[in-house]
Amino acid sequence: MHNLSMALKNLKNNFSFYALYLLSVTFVITVFFAFTSFSMNAVMLEKISNDGRVETMCNTISVFLMAFVVFYMSYSNRFFLRRRTKELGIYALLGYRKSTILSLLITENLLTCSGAFIAGILLGGFFHKGIVFGITKLLDLAVNHSEIPFFNPNAVMKTACFISAVVIVLALSNSRFLFRTSLMDLVRYEKSAEKRMSFHAVPSVIGFLAVITGYCLALDILRGAESLWLTIGFYPVGMLTSALILSGTVLFIASFLPFAVQAGKKNKRKFYTETKIITAPGFIYRIHSNSRTLIMLTLLSAATLTVSSVMALSLYYPIAAVSRMAPSEIECRIENESEITAFKQIINEYSPGDDVTFLQTDIYKVTSTAGQLPVEYSIGTSKGDSDNEKILRDAGFECIPFSNYTVLLEAQGRTKALEQLATLNNNECILIKYQPDSDNDETGNVYPLLIGNHEIPVTVTAVTLDNPISFANSVGTLIVSDDLYHMLTEQAVPAAKVLSINGKSIEDNEALFQALSEYLSGSPYLQGNSHRVHEIFSLSSSTFLLIGFLVVLFFIATGSILYFNNVSAITDSKSDYDILRKMGYTDRKIKKIIQKQTAAFFIIPFLFGLADCIFATLVYKSALMQNILKNSLVLYTPTMAAIMLTFIIYLAYYRMTVHTCCKAVLTK
Amino acid sequence: MSALLEATEVTKIYARAQHPSLNKVSFSVAKSEFIAIMGASGSGKTTLLNVLSTIDTPTSGSITIDGVNIKNLSDSGAADFRRDKLGFIFQEYLLLDSLTIFENIAVPLTLQKLPPKKIENMVRSLAEAFGIDPQLNKYPNELSGGQRQRASALRAIVKRPSILFADEPTGALDSSSATDLLNTLKESNESLNTTILMVTHDAYAASFADRILIFKDGCIIRELFRQNDDRRTFYESIAREVAKLDTER
Repeated sequence: MHNLSMALKNLKNNFSFYALYLLSVTFVITVFFAFTSFSMNAVMLEKISNDGRVETMCNTISVFLMAFVVFYMSYSNRFFLRRRTKELGIYALLGYRKSTILSLLITENLLTCSGAFIAGILLGGFFHKGIVFGITKLLDLAVNHSEIPFFNPNAVMKTACFISAVVIVLALSNSRFLFRTSLMDLVRYEKSAEKRMSFHAVPSVIGFLAVITGYCLALDILRGAESLWLTIGFYPVGMLTSALILSGTVLFIASFLPFAVQAGKKNKRKFYTETKIITAPGFIYRIHSNSRTLIMLTLLSAATLTVSSVMALSLYYPIAAVSRMAPSEIECRIENESEITAFKQIINEYSPGDDVTFLQTDIYKVTSTAGQLPVEYSIGTSKGDSDNEKILRDAGFECIPFSNYTVLLEAQGRTKALEQLATLNNNECILIKYQPDSDNDETGNVYPLLIGNHEIPVTVTAVTLDNPISFANSVGTLIVSDDLYHMLTEQAVPAAKVLSINGKSIEDNEALFQALSEYLSGSPYLQGNSHRVHEIFSLSSSTFLLIGFLVVLFFIATGSILYFNNVSAITDSKSDYDILRKMGYTDRKIKKIIQKQTAAFFIIPFLFGLADCIFATLVYKSALMQNILKNSLVLYTPTMAAIMLTFIIYLAYYRMTVHTCCKAVLTK
Repeated sequence: MSALLEATEVTKIYARAQHPSLNKVSFSVAKSEFIAIMGASGSGKTTLLNVLSTIDTPTSGSITIDGVNIKNLSDSGAADFRRDKLGFIFQEYLLLDSLTIFENIAVPLTLQKLPPKKIENMVRSLAEAFGIDPQLNKYPNELSGGQRQRASALRAIVKRPSILFADEPTGALDSSSATDLLNTLKESNESLNTTILMVTHDAYAASFADRILIFKDGCIIRELFRQNDDRRTFYESIAREVAKLDTER
């Protein structure tokens, strides 16, 4: 029979078997083509990248992507080759030359990959269009969609060349396997039994201790200034923690888990049960040959969870912090009263709503002779500690009146902060903190304020993170009583006059902000809440999108490898389940055994990944992110959402795997 | 002796088959009896074993084992019945590779939810009695074919089944291992009163039984009884019968 017709017959007769391979390769090509199309989309890149950053990221991610495609396709290829080894052995027994068998394999692979390529290009085209549509909607970009082709010829060419190269590599790898395996080994390949596993206490204990030490080191960051991360240095401790967790994970999976399960067999009451007596030895037996795959999956899972969690946190945190960075919808400094009229005109032009409030706050700078002053008193007075180092401020408290404070909070809609306020006496004040600082609570501190020639002591009755004015316009803000403020106005001139503009009708109006910015010649004192959110989305979305590609790939890789690995192991042991049925195991009990055996291989990468993700996120949040928000579990909502999403994806893959395994084993 | 197994007019016709694999087969097996079923390939021996052991269902006829009509059993009822009443030995040993020999033998007892102490005692005493206690902590792939098949036999015997089905148990063994296994079965039959129904095409293996049912084209065509003959004499009469059958083909 001609090779091509034989390959076609094989594909037709074993469609369900090849469908899985076709589907997984299609998946990979879809993602690859969508990504390649995006990185070659000049229209979009021009809109979202001004400094070549996105292009550089695309190039970096494309290397990861290519490595992943090669790894994933070779893994799937090896999986399917293993399941066909006996069949290939029979061809050889019938007198087929190995070169003929190889050309049959290549023909089949070519046909499958060609099918996957066509499907992948089609789906990838849709996927790419979807991404473009999503970004333009999210960033409110003006893009002419007709300029973006559904199939970018260069992307199609690049994908075709790359997939062809992978197919050639697979052909070489298959030929190596085929020519190196003897006829006897080909026929008996599936029957080759595992070698007896030996259990060593020392590497098991080392693995366990390494993982625990790594996690303890990560937790040490919570000690703040005293932690090893700050006393020794972030990078050496970071490297040590990573090395401990990495080597610990390897030893934990390869040595500790089988050792622990073997030791658990000594608990006879638990071990001599109809399920455990099958699953515990089965786990040890499988982990012996699969520990490398399991380690790789665990690391992949840890990377997926950590990247998605850190990514979610990195996007959510700055947006949550906008309420502090720009508490009013629009805020700016004014030099003279006539500017207010000009602002009102511009606002009327762009948003003629009647709900807009204009609040002017005159800020008075006051110095203090106290020995111990809060950090906010002198923040931004020297190079290195300011957001905008070109503008240095003079040290001092920046006083605003209590009545202005409450009116501003009300205009900004911060009713919760308002409810907690108590009126101030003349010798009392509220200190606005820049960062939450659990080590130094200034409540109760007395600061003598130099007003004219007098020193008037004020006691801090409360510290708060509810700043009514952005940090661009006021740092070290002190809320004082209206009477005390009145005294100040009589003794000095305001250091700055800040206009806060709020109102529903001016929200999300980027054109208005740009008009005001133009009027103020790009003043750094102009701040806008919606503008800031928009700016964060514009700057971060391309990064998140590209990292999102990687995360999706990691999910596909982890889920599919777990699927293939479990289906392969369970179907290879079909005869074992037949024995159990003959012994009197019901189908329900066998299903339970399959569920437990499969669950173990899903749970290990997930739980390890989860632990790694939690500790990595903790370190990232504590050490690498500027903390200006109160520590609260709400901040971890996106992390929890990312974990929950991962859990749902794992659960879906798990259910699919168990379903396929049960179908393969329990079909009579 | 009372009948432990009663097969009446058992017929099995597979879809698209021209002839029935079992054609109105009737026979009974007494408690503690050792019966061998012989016949050429395709004569219906294995079909009979599958039908009797609830692995397959007959097209018509009735089968009663230990007072239970197995035709009326549901899937889970049949599983429970196999768990409580039946033991199996197969030509390919079919031990679980991931379990030690001890664990393999213990599996049927865990299925019966016996206490751990009792399971340990039962497995160890049986292994000692049949001489495989040195192999208890080994894995199947560390044993010879004969040792594996003996372990497989002990796994079937350990739960004291009402009846033990053996499908060509010596088919993959050398002569010495085959003799060891057959002695094990005989010993279990005599000392533990295990009822055995063994399918074999080997006259030597059949000579260990008390009675032989010879199958052809789905029917029992002859029945041989050992009576007071010694094993060698019985073997010679079986061999003669098999030769006669071969010439009649």
